[in-house]
Amino acid sequence: MAGFKTVLYEKNNGIAWITLDRPKQLNAYSVGMRDDLYEVLKAVKDDDEVKVGILRGAGEKAFCAGADLSEFLSAPPPVAARQVRWQRDIWGLFAALPQPMIAAVHGFVLGSGIEMSLFCDMRIASAEAQFGLPEVALGIIPAAGGTQTLPRLIGRGKAVELLLTNEWISATEALRIGLVNQVVARKVLYEKARSMAEKIASFDAAAVRAVKQAVVRGLDMTLPQGLDLEKQLALGLKGAKPNGA
Amino acid sequence: MRRNRLITYTTNGHVASLDFTHQVTDIDDAYELVMELGDITAEIGATDMIRIVVVNAGGKTMSFSTAGMGALAEALGQMTGDCPDPAKLLAGLPQPVLVGLEGDILGMGLELALACDVRVAVDGARFGMTHLSEGQMPSWGGTQRLSRLVGGGNALELTLGATIIDAPEALRIGLVNKVVPRDRLSSTLDEMAHNMAAKGPIAMRYAKEAISAGLDLSLGQGLRLEADLYFLLHTSRDRTEGIQAFQNKGKPKFEGR
Repeated sequence: MAGFKTVLYEKNNGIAWITLDRPKQLNAYSVGMRDDLYEVLKAVKDDDEVKVGILRGAGEKAFCAGADLSEFLSAPPPVAARQVRWQRDIWGLFAALPQPMIAAVHGFVLGSGIEMSLFCDMRIASAEAQFGLPEVALGIIPAAGGTQTLPRLIGRGKAVELLLTNEWISATEALRIGLVNQVVARKVLYEKARSMAEKIASFDAAAVRAVKQAVVRGLDMTLPQGLDLEKQLALGLKGAKPNGA
Repeated sequence: MRRNRLITYTTNGHVASLDFTHQVTDIDDAYELVMELGDITAEIGATDMIRIVVVNAGGKTMSFSTAGMGALAEALGQMTGDCPDPAKLLAGLPQPVLVGLEGDILGMGLELALACDVRVAVDGARFGMTHLSEGQMPSWGGTQRLSRLVGGGNALELTLGATIIDAPEALRIGLVNKVVPRDRLSSTLDEMAHNMAAKGPIAMRYAKEAISAGLDLSLGQGLRLEADLYFLLHTSRDRTEGIQAFQNKGKPKFEGR
């Protein structure tokens, strides 16, 4: 897959490498990037050869420094904008990816940068990474899911604090509060992401997908419903027919 | 407006402060507290000028003597028909609520603290969901808010064991957001409050709402709520102000509209 202006895509050995590619703009999330990313994710979702995805940012300074504000004031009026939002529901697509996604983040991870990493299943940060959510300081709120995915990951207490104070935190603090899974040296960031991806890619793909489904969908259910889902998925893997089939 | 007897209510610009200045020792005090808090929170909720609320225990411990507390909820219900629990009054405020915690935050005191949005503790503070040791159970939301904050494992241990933990442990499990020395409590809360008050006030309320209401929804529903609030903000002047200020590298002046 090629020909995207703002996103690079490479696939090898079952690993899809998705790179946000606007390094001069610190990979700021623009309308163009939204459209490119939507196509890439759609293709990944339908590609059974992809076992794991890795999301990263080009350039040295940032994984993604947030939304491209230069586009904001000329955005369509709210009614039209809302329609577009749901016509190409990129965050719903991201959340529905069957393959596990690893975010390998460095430098500035701000606003939509954090939000994109939150739609991934794991986050590896390089030691100098800094995380922040500046939206309320701009008179807006996160619109890439941050008000929903962040509390579900790190708990409401810390999420409210980060979202309402725009306090930037270091990779070490991000690790402590559970925002990221691992912190590594910058120069081994992609190597670590690759080795984690390779490990996952070496397992039975159906089992991996079933685990992701059980955990992610289960979190939206009551415990009894979630246990039932787990049982159905596990039976499905064994080739047994699910209840009622 | 009820006279402030148990709660001192003051405003300073966009920040409202509530100081729980008196120990609640009996059922009459408890009733008075709930009534005062009801009046104050109703006023704050209706006042757009107020962007942040800071709650303090006024230097006294936020624990409540449990003499008669067991029958309190029932008694209040009978007296007034529809008396909400005070934790619900705090949790229902549209503005973010910061709370400063020192001394012993036990039982109903902890339940009030859990209803706030950000908890800042003094390093000698202690915390416990201690109702069981008085033969009671939490009735001001403790069985719901504690687990949602610190996870089921910690909540069960604290509540079933009536265990009292110190500030570093509270920080570790996420019960509090920060721990500071005693002489830094006031300034930490002040700084945080004024820093937050300088941000978009409608955005602030919507962010709080998206998080709080969103946690009770499925992720898909929560994302819809967030999107709806986000697009509503497109109609605010503050959004334009915030973005233009950023583009001009200046400081935004938000008007709350």
